[in-house]
Amino acid sequence: MAQGKVYSSAKAALADVQDGSTILVSGFAGYGVAWSLLDALVEVGSKDLTVIYRDGPLPEGTGARLPAINNLVTNGLVTKLISPLPFLPGNGGAIEERWLSGDLQIEILPQGILVERLRAGGAGIGGVFLPTALGTRFEGDKERRAFAQGEAVLELPLKADYALIRVAAADTLGNSIYDGSGRNWAPIMAMAARVTIAETGRIVEPGELDPEAIISPGIFVNRIVAAE
Amino acid sequence: MPQKLDELSMARRAASELQPGQLVALGSGLPARVAEVAPPRAPLQLLSDSGALGYRPSTAGLAAVGPSLTGPDGVPVALAEGGSVVGTADWAAMLRGGHVDVAVVQPARVTASGDLIGWTTAATPGLFAPGRTVDLAAGARKVIAMLPHTGSDGSPNILADSSPVADGRACVDIIITDIAVIRVEEGGLVLAEVAPGWSYDDVAALTGASLSCADDLKEIAPSLEALNAEPPGKVYPDAPSAIRDIADGATVMIDGFGGPGGMAHYLLVSLRDQGTRGLTIISNTIGIARSVNFGTPPGKLAIDHSILVDNGQVAKAIASYPVSPSMSNPSSFELAYRRNEVELELVPQGTLAERLRAGGAGIYAFYTPTGVGTLIAEGKESRVIDGKEYILEEGLRADYCLIRGHKADTMGNVVYKGTSRNFNAVMAPSARITIVEVDEVVEPGQLDPELIVTPGIYVDRLVVRPRDFSPYE
Repeated sequence: MAQGKVYSSAKAALADVQDGSTILVSGFAGYGVAWSLLDALVEVGSKDLTVIYRDGPLPEGTGARLPAINNLVTNGLVTKLISPLPFLPGNGGAIEERWLSGDLQIEILPQGILVERLRAGGAGIGGVFLPTALGTRFEGDKERRAFAQGEAVLELPLKADYALIRVAAADTLGNSIYDGSGRNWAPIMAMAARVTIAETGRIVEPGELDPEAIISPGIFVNRIVAAE
Repeated sequence: MPQKLDELSMARRAASELQPGQLVALGSGLPARVAEVAPPRAPLQLLSDSGALGYRPSTAGLAAVGPSLTGPDGVPVALAEGGSVVGTADWAAMLRGGHVDVAVVQPARVTASGDLIGWTTAATPGLFAPGRTVDLAAGARKVIAMLPHTGSDGSPNILADSSPVADGRACVDIIITDIAVIRVEEGGLVLAEVAPGWSYDDVAALTGASLSCADDLKEIAPSLEALNAEPPGKVYPDAPSAIRDIADGATVMIDGFGGPGGMAHYLLVSLRDQGTRGLTIISNTIGIARSVNFGTPPGKLAIDHSILVDNGQVAKAIASYPVSPSMSNPSSFELAYRRNEVELELVPQGTLAERLRAGGAGIYAFYTPTGVGTLIAEGKESRVIDGKEYILEEGLRADYCLIRGHKADTMGNVVYKGTSRNFNAVMAPSARITIVEVDEVVEPGQLDPELIVTPGIYVDRLVVRPRDFSPYE
């Protein structure tokens, strides 16, 4: 019998992450972060990772206010970051140090463009014309075109190998709901990754979640682990 | 020098720029403090990219409606009654789609032409990480910049010349500093207000761009009382009054899937009775339920778009299913089409949904693989991206959108029931005026904020379908 979606541990759910993978990490200011999966990914030790995330400053009182992916970077597992704001200015920590020393590449994207590029990747869209980057450094040499509403810039889709998300509850089919600010990037990231792994404090049987309330249908969630 | 304004006084002055009923996106730093001074019960919807729509500080004394939420700075907030939870993509779509009335940002620097550099951009030299700033600057209809007038070394933060790392071009409308309020006008910067004790000369000396003085230079003394005024209500007494201003030639979106369910029948009947002509209808079908009477009681006819077609009101349809599934029972639209009375633009169903979403989310056009190599691709740009062929499709917008909800609160937040959800979530944001027909209107706070599918910011009018109204005639 094929294994269901529920894995015995975060580490088991990450066992096939190859070196060089691209990984989406959800989270905003510490809300909706898959901490167990991030810890386990350090243990798994896959290298040369590209990580796409928008963590934002962690809430007051959580210590150093370092981004959730700090451990991955400190352990030398990350080659490249794609983020609108990879660290809180003044609290750059290992991310800033490694970037300054040339050991870490960082690509900066405005967050609305990043999230729409991920949605395009997840929804099978080949590219979107957005007005956001017009006239800014983010326009670069991208194609600019005029439409009835005005000029817009072609933004290409982004996809990833894995998405590590935190959900408030999931049923064993992967149908997931979120809690407040924990929603943030997760529903989009879940669509944009080949394998989405959801960490949750509550795993329930199919039928227990209100079908009208499900935000991420199980088709977008491949693996489920209990938060450790 | 006289005293400078403290942060909360600046926030109060920024809040006084707002109007009741507006949707206001706040950035981090000084803008986040606007939430602290906004009257707790004022009809002002504050939006944070943390997913909080309609929030106040957790200290505002509101019953903590809803779930665990943070504001833009990572500080916990509470939803006001009628607030809802959204994702980051929704936040971005609200901005890009032109739904946000005002954005409040904290730039490190602003220029005479209204360009801005976000504080995180300036504080990450070489990386220039804007976070949310570019989206706020590009998307909102009005941009308020809040910043200290000078840096810690006394150098001006308002400059004449722009920088290659500007996060927004010609986007700032008004600058609120700790000593002045400055309007960004076509001819340059105009000093409108000064902090108590400050003069034009004092402010001009600390400004790095040429600054003219308003004829009626005032002292900063904001009042927030006007913010408590109730905006016009969204609940209309009946369908005829809610659709009265739909004029001949209007483009109207109508929801619905295939059969008679999930369609705003009460609004449709009123639109027929009003007799508005020359309509362009955007919808999945253009009336097939009536031709085959799916699930219709014996002796009755299903109400659908056909009643508008039969009444000679439809000039054009943009639809996925314009024909009846039964050859022997053609739809009204098919018959009208054969008589050359109506035009048709045929759109595959998934492309229709995506074009609607694009229209509401400020995506001007997109490449889709659907329809490549078919008649749908004729006349459209085709392009190979990353080894795969796509065609270009543009966003769709309309004057009006008529949709069927289940329940709404008086602020326009809507939940649906079963498959009546269908196109609603993507149609509601894509029309200038969205009118929703519901079974029940409740007070704000009575709908679970996590379950709201269409936030009230997308809904302009609400009508309750009378209990004795039948979707069959």
